[in-house]
Formats: sequence, C-alpha cells, structure tokens
Amino acid sequence: MKRIALVEDDQTLRENYTEALTRQGYSVSGYDNRAAAENAFATRLPDLAIIDIGLKHEYDGGFQLCQYVRNLSPTVPIIFFTARDNDIDTVSGLRMGADDYLTKDISLPHLLARIAALFRRAELQHQPSDESALLEVNDLQLDSNRMLCSWRKHPVDLTITEFWMLYSLVKKPGHVKSRQQLMDDSKMVVDDTTITSHIKRIRQKFSALDEQFDHIETLYGMGYRWRAIDS
Amino acid sequence: MRIPIRAQLLVMSLFLSAIPIIGYQYVWELESYLRAGQEQTMIGTARAVASALHERQALFDSPATQRETVRPGTDLYAVPIRAPIVLDGKFNDWQDAEPLVRHYDERYRIDDHEDPFAQPVSLRFDHAVGRYQQFVYAMFAVKDNVWIPRGANARGIENNDHLLIAMSDSDGNIQRFALAPRTEGWVNGFRLEPQPNSYEVLGNETQIQGQWIATEDGYNIEIRFPFAMTGGDLAFALVDVDESIRATPVSVIGTANPNQENELGTIASQSTDIEDLLRSLQYTRSRVWVVDKHLRVLARAGDIQQAEGLRASRRQSTAPQWWQYIEREYLLPLYYTVLTRPSNDFVDELANAFALQGTDIANALDGNADALWRLSPDNKAVILSAAHPIYVDQKVIGAVIVEQTTNGIRTLRNQALERLFHGMLAIMIVAVLVILLFATRISNRIRRLRDDTEAIIDASGKIIGELKPMRRYDEIGDLSASFSSVLERLTHYTQYLENMASRLSHELRTPVAIVRSSLDNLAVIQTDESEKAYTERALTGIERLSKILTRMSEATRLEASLASVKKSPFNLKDVVSVCCESYTAIYPAHPIQLKVSTEKTDVAGAPDLFAQLLDKVVANAVEFSHPDGPIGLHLWIEQQTACISITNQGQLLPSGMEKDVFQSMVSVREEAAQQEDVHLGLGLYIARTIAEFHGGSININNLPDHTGVCVVVSLPLNS
Repeated sequence: MKRIALVEDDQTLRENYTEALTRQGYSVSGYDNRAAAENAFATRLPDLAIIDIGLKHEYDGGFQLCQYVRNLSPTVPIIFFTARDNDIDTVSGLRMGADDYLTKDISLPHLLARIAALFRRAELQHQPSDESALLEVNDLQLDSNRMLCSWRKHPVDLTITEFWMLYSLVKKPGHVKSRQQLMDDSKMVVDDTTITSHIKRIRQKFSALDEQFDHIETLYGMGYRWRAIDS
Repeated sequence: MRIPIRAQLLVMSLFLSAIPIIGYQYVWELESYLRAGQEQTMIGTARAVASALHERQALFDSPATQRETVRPGTDLYAVPIRAPIVLDGKFNDWQDAEPLVRHYDERYRIDDHEDPFAQPVSLRFDHAVGRYQQFVYAMFAVKDNVWIPRGANARGIENNDHLLIAMSDSDGNIQRFALAPRTEGWVNGFRLEPQPNSYEVLGNETQIQGQWIATEDGYNIEIRFPFAMTGGDLAFALVDVDESIRATPVSVIGTANPNQENELGTIASQSTDIEDLLRSLQYTRSRVWVVDKHLRVLARAGDIQQAEGLRASRRQSTAPQWWQYIEREYLLPLYYTVLTRPSNDFVDELANAFALQGTDIANALDGNADALWRLSPDNKAVILSAAHPIYVDQKVIGAVIVEQTTNGIRTLRNQALERLFHGMLAIMIVAVLVILLFATRISNRIRRLRDDTEAIIDASGKIIGELKPMRRYDEIGDLSASFSSVLERLTHYTQYLENMASRLSHELRTPVAIVRSSLDNLAVIQTDESEKAYTERALTGIERLSKILTRMSEATRLEASLASVKKSPFNLKDVVSVCCESYTAIYPAHPIQLKVSTEKTDVAGAPDLFAQLLDKVVANAVEFSHPDGPIGLHLWIEQQTACISITNQGQLLPSGMEKDVFQSMVSVREEAAQQEDVHLGLGLYIARTIAEFHGGSININNLPDHTGVCVVVSLPLNS
C-alpha cells in the first residue's frame, strides 16, 4: 500500500483529503506542522508527500520541509498543494525539486489523477519502456506510461502538469490547442496567465538543452501548437 | 479672481511709501523751525542796524523827517534817479520818477480863491522831484491856455507866467527864487528879495538852471539845483498870467505857498549818510531799508536777489563718479518734479520803491519790532522782512527793515530732502526686492509642492510616485510633509484596494478547497441519486466560485510576472494580423475588419502579452457589440507612436466612465449580463497594465456619432 504524507495545517481540509485518499487505497498520515512531519520522515520516508507551503506560523515552512525531504531522498515525489498561486512561489517550489505545484481549489479527481500519475512514473522509472506508449516527433520522445520526456535523447524534467500539456500539443503536431483545451488535458482549472506561465516554463526547460528550440509556437489569440519540422 | 501671492505682497509693500511722506513732513517741520530761527535772526539784524542809528540826530534832522504828518503834494520826495537827466525840457528820462508824478490843479491853488475878483483857474501841471547825485531835479509839464513870456524889455518878472521857488537854507533863512524866461530855452533863476510877495530881483542865481520849452498846450520846465541849497524846506508855485496888457495873475498853483515862511513844503530824499552807514555795516546777506516815520525810504542797501539768508553751500560730494552721474542724471530730475528749486530770478516789487508799507513796519513805527512773510508777486520766492524802530529822543523817528528771501532755507530743505529721498529710495528698493524675493520663494515653493503633488498622481487618479517632503522649517514644509504623509497613506490604501482581489482570492481558496473536497468526498460515498444531484449542483457552484477566485488574482499575477518579462522587439502588425485571424475563428458572428495604414510597426515588448491585451479588448468589444456587429481594427503611426483602434458598434459608455473602466474591479455591464458569466471588471484593467508595461497608454471613448465605442491603444515605436 502506497503511503502518502499529507502536511496541511487546516484540520478540516486535512481530514477531507485523508479520507478521500484513504478511499483510493492509499495509506495517509497527516501532519499539521513541519516539526511533526520531519520527525516522522526521519524515521521513515513516505512514498509521496503532499505539502502545504504555509504551515502554522511558518510562512514558507513547506519549502523547508521540501528541502528536508529532498536531502533524505532525491526521488520521493513531492506535490506542493497551496493557496498561493503566484509565479514566484510556483517557480521556487518547483526549483526545490517538487514534482508538481497545485493550487488548493483543484478538484479531487484532478488531484488523484496527478497522484496516480506520479506513482506510476516512480514505479515504471526503472522498467524498460513500452514501445506502444512511446510518442516520437522529430527529436522529441514522450513516454506516456512513464511520463518521461526526452529531447534528442536527453531527458527533460517535466512536472506531471507540464507533461500532460506537452503531450496534448505533441499528440497532434501542427494542430492548435487553445488554452482551454490545454487546461482540460492537463487536468486543471486555471486562468490564461497560468497557462502562459506553464508554456513559458516548458520552453525554458527545452531551451536549457537546446538553444535553438522553437517548436512550441504561440498563435496569438488562439493558443499553441507543436511545430513539426518536415523531415 | 486669481491674484498671485507676489502681486499681493507687492501691493502690501506700497505702504512703504508712507515712509517718505513722514520724512517729508519731518523736513517741513525742520524748515519751519529754520524759518522761525531766520525770523529771529532778522529781527536781531534789524535791531543791530537800528542800534547804529539810534540817537543819530544828524541823520534825521531834515524837516521832512521831523514833520509829524505828510501833506500830499506839499511834502515832496526826491526820487533817486539812476541815470543822469539831460536838461532839455523833455521828460523821457524821468521814468524812475513816474510813479511819483503828481497832478496839480485848482486843488493846489495858493491864492485866495474866495476873493471876489478871483478868476477861474486855467493852468494845471504835472510835477515830480528827483535827485541825481548832489542835484535836485524838478519837472513841470504845464498845461496853460496861454503862455505869456516875459516881455522883451520888461524889467520886472511878475507880469508874465513865472515859477516861484522858495526854500530855507541850512541856516533856516528863507531864500526865494523865480524863473521867468523871455523865450523858450535855457533858463536860470533869479534870486528874489526874501521878503514875502516881493518881486525885487537881487540878481541871477545860476545854481538854478534848466530849460523852459513851449509845448502845444503849454510849456515844460525842467530845472535843477544843488541839493545843498535847501535845508529841507521847499515850495514851488506857478503863477499864471493870461494877458500881457493888464498882466494880473489869474491864479497861483503850487506845492506850497512860497510867500509864507511857515507853510513851505518839505523835500525828503534818500540820505547818502545813512546809506554809507548801512554799507559800512556790511549786512550784504540781506537788503536793508531805512524809512522815515512816513514810510518814505531814506536809505537802502543790498540786493534782495542776493539775500538768500542762510548760505546753503552744496557740499563737495565725495561719492564715486558713477553715483554722482546717476544722481545728476536720474534722481535729481525725478525729485525736482516734486520739489521746486528756489530761484533768485524773481520779480521784486520793491526794486524802485520810494515808500514801503506792511504791518511789520507799521508795528515798528509804533515801537515794536516785527517780522512779516510775504510772497514775491510771481510766487517764486518767499521774502521775510523784519522791522525795528529807530529812536531819537525816545521818539520813533523811523524804522529799519531787513529783508531776506527764504531761498537759503529752501535750498537747505531741498538738500535734506534729496538725501532723505536717496535713503527712502534705497530702503524702498531693498524692501521691495526683499519682499519680491520672499514672495517668489514662497510662491515657488508652493508651486513646486503643487507640481510635485500633481506629478505623482496620473490622469486616472493613480498614485505613481512618492512625494519627497521639503525641509520642514515653516508651514509650507509642514504642508509638504502632511501632503506626503496623506499621499503615502493613500498609496497604501490604494495598494490595499488593488491587492484586495488577490488577497481575497488567496484567503478564500482554503475554505473553497474544504467545501470542494467535502463535496468530492460526498459524491463518492453517495448512493442516493437525488442527493447526488444536489452534490452535483453544489460542485458546479464551487466550480464557479473557484473560477471567480482565479480571475480575481489574475491581474495581480500578471503584474507580478511582468517584473520578470524581458522586452524584445516584435512586429506589431504581424501580431495584430495573426490575432485577427484567430478572432475570425473565435467570433464567427462578428466580422473582424482589419485596416493597416503603416509599414513600420516595430515595438519593444512581449508579443504574447500584447496579444493578451488585444484579446481582452476585443472580447470586451464583442461583448458590447450589436449581435453580428463588425469589430474594426485599425493600425497606424502617429508621431513615433503606433496606434491601434478597436471599434465596435453598440452600447455606449456612460459619460464620465472613460477613465474609470480601466480601474481594477470596475465594470459598466448591466446586472443581467453580470449574472451570466463571471465579470469582475478586470479585463480592461489588465489591458491597461499591459499597455503601460509597453510604455504606452490606452483610452476608451464613445464614437463621435454615438453609434459605438472606440478603444485606442498607443505604443511607442521601437527606435
């Protein structure tokens, strides 16, 4: 049974999610402050951690906790689950090694889908890839099972949300995906600016590997598309 | 009406002009003291002169002076004549004596007119006496119906027209003379027997000489004799004879009866002795008169035009050359538009006076020294005269009158006023300058405060800066500080308001998550279909609430993300074209009409942000457009600025909302429209934020023909 640690200072919310996740067959332990969580993690790491950034009196206790977990294990999936929706927090959260950054108003099914996806990715990490799940366009290779992405054989570290978004674009290269479609495909309810930020971050990750990367094209007023290079 | 502070203070400074007025009055006061002093000095001078004349009996012993009363026409006054008189029987050289020419007619008849045999008078004459050096001159312009000259062979002198002269010599003896020429021409006197009425000729008297000239209606007699001949008594009488047969006198007319020793007239004349004395006293700074008690001038000395009283010498100026130049060329002419420079060139009515008058002299003759101020006839000078009596034997025998003008004092006063005006002018200029400087400084500071305050609030009322408080050493500094703190508090409040949406959305997110997760849980465990429906609805509601929260923080998130956006050049035309294509697809009901009136449209910024701006504005335009109404886009260049207008036909903007719609959370949508979708009035606020990020601006206005609304976005071109 997968063990999930839920670090959330709001008791009601914690209980709600604990129940929901337990019903999904996960073993959930809830913590309402950083110290308790750290103590527990020191004894035994969970399989996945869901962390709120603001914990009781600590404005960014979640960030510290994330660093703590990353020190213990570089692989344990971490999801930031917070009311803060600004770019700065998102970027800092992801830079600290979190696997995803979710705002609290996400619906339960969307959350569960991400948790499931992260577990699947962790599980299949070391297994050979299934050919049927592979999607290759130009130099890009997407493994929809393991949710791995590589560009010219170099792995690109994408969050689940980013992966789904990219997958949505690449699935039908050349087709325009509106922001709304991208939202639906990446299983979240956000605004246009957030989508723009996500796209920006995806581009940055590719640009870090390949400065010439310009396959994600913006169609002003409409959306985005993957520009496949004729070869 | 708006009156600048500077003007107000300048008007106030006009009160400074009261200072010269006070100074002027002070100088006037000073002048009146000086005048009083001058008056006393003059009376002193008059007393001193009088002292020199007291008890100098010899100077005042002439019968004319001794007389108690003056008989007009009888007591004669020898006018001092300045130019020598030519004895030619013509009187054109007698101008000096003109005022004293007296007309003699029957009123001056000497013979007994009550005599039963007296004949009517047929002779009258004009007569005057003058004195030139040591000679007495007399003129007679006689009008006679007939002139009977002395017969060619007549030995007697009485049977014809003749002139009788009587005078007392220095010993008091009566001397009698007669003039009776045979023909006109040079004439000498005859000395007669001193016995009254006697025509016994004792011989020729060549000291009496003159001309006897016939005229149209009579004859002129012009004679002279040495003044020393007379002791002061004198009488002239013309005996008129009208026919030579009987040769009886018709009438005798004269100044006095020469045949009555006690009734002789007197002759007064100016005394050279007294004049010498006056001159020796050397009161050259004044004009000095000595008059007898009949006000007749006995002596005079000095010239009133030179008698200035105080000698106000202009001090040698040690001031620098430039100052002297300014003073001479500008200041003094200015002052003398107000002041009058005393002039010595005034009309002196007493230049040829033989008799004086005035209350001061009258008082002096009564025994009291007195002074009198008077104006010269042309009002150019004020003359001060002081009179003092002269005593001989405890009796007033005459008076000394000393005269001066006040020109000296006036010159002194003018000099004082000049200096005063210099000072006043300097003080006023400095004061006005200081006031002006002060006012300028105050108004500049106030203006700066105003400009600073206005500069940190933009046209839409947004506070865009911070007011730097001035140094706090007076009320303006306090004002500035309080403005600064007011604006700072206002800024905080505005920021609070602007952040309200995002804070609210942040704060609401956790409760929403609680409700949502609860509903999600509920949906899973519920089995009852009817209950499930409610849960579904509650989820829809929470979904919408979630959307609202997201939108509320969109603007804040955008602003936060702008900080990290790098500007890069892009072609505005391409972005607009691409956008328009997509709008055609997105809004199939509304024809999108793009018009591009320019080639060069490179601007610096972020194309996707600009596209977002355009999205918001076009979405707005579509929303307010008529169904199926076209959306017009126009791109043009104007003064290094790229402008895009987005025009739609339809609902107008309420007047006065042109600026407000770009504010956060301001919406002009009607209630019904509000409910259908989530509108927080952030669309145009986001558009403005993006436009300002590009260094541009955005404006919205109703079309001039009131058929719709036009939004104009202007962005500076990339140079």
